[in-house]
Amino acid sequence: MDPLLYVLDLIVFIGIFGIVALSLNLEFGFAGLANFGKVAFFLIGAYTYALLSQIGVPFYLCLVAGGLVSAIFGLLVSLPALRLRADYLAIAVLAFGEILRLIVKSEEFAGGDWGITVSPAISLVGASHRVDALVNIGLVYFCLLICFIVVQLLANSPYGRAMRAIREDEVAAEALGKSEVKYKAQALMLGSAMAGVAGGLYAQYLQYVLPGMFMPMVTFTVWIMVLLGGPANNWGVLLGAALVQIFNRGTNILKDYFILPINPTDLQYILFGALIILVLLYRPQGLLKESRIKTKAMEGVRRARNAVKNKGSQ
Amino acid sequence: MQETLLKIREVSKHFGGVYAVSGVSLNIKGGGIWGLVGPNGSGKTTLFNTILGLHRPDEGDIYFNGKCINRLAPHQIYGLGLVNAFQIPRLFSRLSVLDNMLLAARGHQGDTLLNSLFLRKGWQEQEVELAGKAMEILETLELVHLALSPAGELSGGQRKLLEVGRGVMSSPTLLLLDEPAAGINPNLGKKIFQGIEDLSQEGLSFFIIEHRLEILFDFAHWVYVMDKGKIVVEGKPEEVLEDPAFFEVYLGV
Amino acid sequence: MTVNWAQVLFNSTITGSLYLIGAVGLTLTYGLSRFPNFAHAEFITLGAYIGYSVAEQAGLGFPLALVVSFLVTGIVGILCYRGIFQPLAKRGATIIHLMVASIALGFILRYSIGATWTWKPLYFTTTWSAFNIGPLRITGLWVWLILTAIALAILMHFILVKTKIGKAIRATSSNPELALASGINVDRVILITWFIGAGLAAFAGIFRGADTQIWPLTGWDIILPIFAVTILGGIGNFYGAIVAAFIIGLAENVGVVGLIALGLSTSYRIGIAFLILIITLIVRPEGLAMLFRRA
Ligand SMILES: Nc1ncnc2c1ncn2[C@@H]1O[C@H](COP(=O)(O)OP(=O)(O)OP(=O)(O)O)[C@@H](O)[C@H]1O
Ligand SMILES: [Mg+2]
Repeated sequence: MDPLLYVLDLIVFIGIFGIVALSLNLEFGFAGLANFGKVAFFLIGAYTYALLSQIGVPFYLCLVAGGLVSAIFGLLVSLPALRLRADYLAIAVLAFGEILRLIVKSEEFAGGDWGITVSPAISLVGASHRVDALVNIGLVYFCLLICFIVVQLLANSPYGRAMRAIREDEVAAEALGKSEVKYKAQALMLGSAMAGVAGGLYAQYLQYVLPGMFMPMVTFTVWIMVLLGGPANNWGVLLGAALVQIFNRGTNILKDYFILPINPTDLQYILFGALIILVLLYRPQGLLKESRIKTKAMEGVRRARNAVKNKGSQ
Repeated sequence: MQETLLKIREVSKHFGGVYAVSGVSLNIKGGGIWGLVGPNGSGKTTLFNTILGLHRPDEGDIYFNGKCINRLAPHQIYGLGLVNAFQIPRLFSRLSVLDNMLLAARGHQGDTLLNSLFLRKGWQEQEVELAGKAMEILETLELVHLALSPAGELSGGQRKLLEVGRGVMSSPTLLLLDEPAAGINPNLGKKIFQGIEDLSQEGLSFFIIEHRLEILFDFAHWVYVMDKGKIVVEGKPEEVLEDPAFFEVYLGV
Repeated sequence: MTVNWAQVLFNSTITGSLYLIGAVGLTLTYGLSRFPNFAHAEFITLGAYIGYSVAEQAGLGFPLALVVSFLVTGIVGILCYRGIFQPLAKRGATIIHLMVASIALGFILRYSIGATWTWKPLYFTTTWSAFNIGPLRITGLWVWLILTAIALAILMHFILVKTKIGKAIRATSSNPELALASGINVDRVILITWFIGAGLAAFAGIFRGADTQIWPLTGWDIILPIFAVTILGGIGNFYGAIVAAFIIGLAENVGVVGLIALGLSTSYRIGIAFLILIITLIVRPEGLAMLFRRA
């Protein structure tokens, strides 16, 4: 295979999963929600895109619709689910994702086991694969940039501060006026919207959707990205997404050059599993630690300190 | 003294078979420092938690500013200006001391999703102001040098101080303090109560649980004594001190 | 469409028996260690493969396969608890971290199994005689499965009520601090439940494998129904699990009849358990447990 194309392909994947990782970071890293059904919202975005593009809706509307439909589902799921304990929530949304996969697998309108073919978002006449990949990079990283800006703005605001407070101690946060349900529902809604957009990008890039693309495994790959890179650090989870994708490719390339006694896919997931356990044991904060909340509050602190100093020197 | 701020009517709360609070009625009027004392396990914290909406009362009604708050969620009660500092501090350990303080500010415009994205100018100025206010409070509490450290790194006494500081930060109408002077050195304890008195002069009302009677009775103008879930004595500190029932409660005669 | 209701009922018993055997270990470890061990799925799978090796590759027969795979998987369970979950809990890991760790452990086991035995499905070659009783078609395997479930129920009841270790398990499950204070060796109790729990998972794996096929997702395929049984029965509640297993077995088998009647795909069968799981979590997360205490 063309090595440059291979790299470009890798970059696209990092971008798409970077968006999903940012969305899980919003939910888990900041709001403390154990979303074990991330793939459900990825699926919703992908299938919405596929179904709409089939009837000729332009790609940007497909993407937006994927995000919206996914957000609506996020909100609907959150209404009953948010009152649940962390473990119950995790199991419930995991089951929700599996039900969705069963539906698209069984229903004709979603193409059943054979899925749906999807036309690419932007197809230039006579363009090479390389150019196609570059166009995709442009599209994916544009979406990634928007998502990144949004989550960074939230992380560095009183709103993000409240979210982190709920993650730390929901009773104390409630007693300080932060409605747990409101913040968590919004986190799930926004996170689902982002995952939905990523799903749409994924569908148009691969040019098909299949039930098999949305196994629970996808959810846990994203969890690895977040936990490895650093929960509550948006740069960290992007780093995590890149590392996991590179590692993923690495084990596959390895097999072309070495005779492994073990299937590279098996090896890859064994190593992922071991890696995550090691991270949880020895570096639970991930590679990059939680980012500080950057607002103008620091200016207030500086002023207060200067005032004290001036008093002292008088 | 002004009109009634907090009115509790025949409130009971039980856990399984245990009546932690049974048939408590009291009236807290605006302005001043109100005390609540009683032996361990007499139901003081449970009463506070019930007022705050952390527990639903099994019987009775609670009014704040004339409004029934029985069925409100804790965050709504906080919004009305009825705020609490927990007996066992519940800090956000991975957030800085300053962030813990800022979280307590009431009516922060940046607390909503859309404002945090699109109206950043609006609340950034508020952040500067609030941070200044937080630093002032931290100064009184002798925590100012730790403003940027994670709250999880504070010592036991410092945690307690920050818990009280958060309560003050919220500029409440009525602040419930559950043993604010427990576990901190006596001098600082006195200083805190002096701070409380200053604030009460500015119109803030306090309802305070405290085991250190010698400090509380110096500052409180009215004291409720609780035993086995009931209010047994109430009155001015000097009257309570002369009441035989008070001694009965404390000496278990 | 004529429905053979006797067969539907019988099939429900089979499904329920399998889920019960699979769920007992999960509910016990969930109740004691206070997190859902998703790698329970891989304990099931591992048990199936070990059983296969003993019965088919070594040719030692089905009964011995049950014994060996119970012991080996049980020991793997202990090692996993000692090596991963206990150290994590000691470091103050949150329940979310413990759940993720159990999924990571599941990865390690699942793909190690895939690397060892390949991903090609394997089949037990033992043939089970099939016979008819009235309208029922029955195979020897199903008789074994149901008898095992009944024996398990009686044995577990005996252990939980009569033996010291059983009483210790119940005490620790309902209040660990109190159990510790009253001199129970909580650590040992937890280890024993992980051993028994993983060992019983192996049973479920062998029966499932013998009834269908064995592949590295054998356990994952049935883990959500098993979670449904655990939660519907009330976490840590063995008696609840018995009732829940049969409710879910019945729901699945009657549900299939309903799906066909409605003209829907029967691949939704497994979704019935998922739906029960979600509804239970939302409406009654404490499961049936309270019903038993009140009764
Ligand atoms: N959540 C709960 N569940 C069950 N019982 C409780 C609960 N909270 C409090 N209790 C019981 O209610 C009674 C009153 O407790 P409470 O904490 O209100 O006492 P207190 O007056 O604040 O005591 P202290 O001075 O030691 O803080 C005690 O018997 C306690 O064990
Ligand atoms: Mg108390």
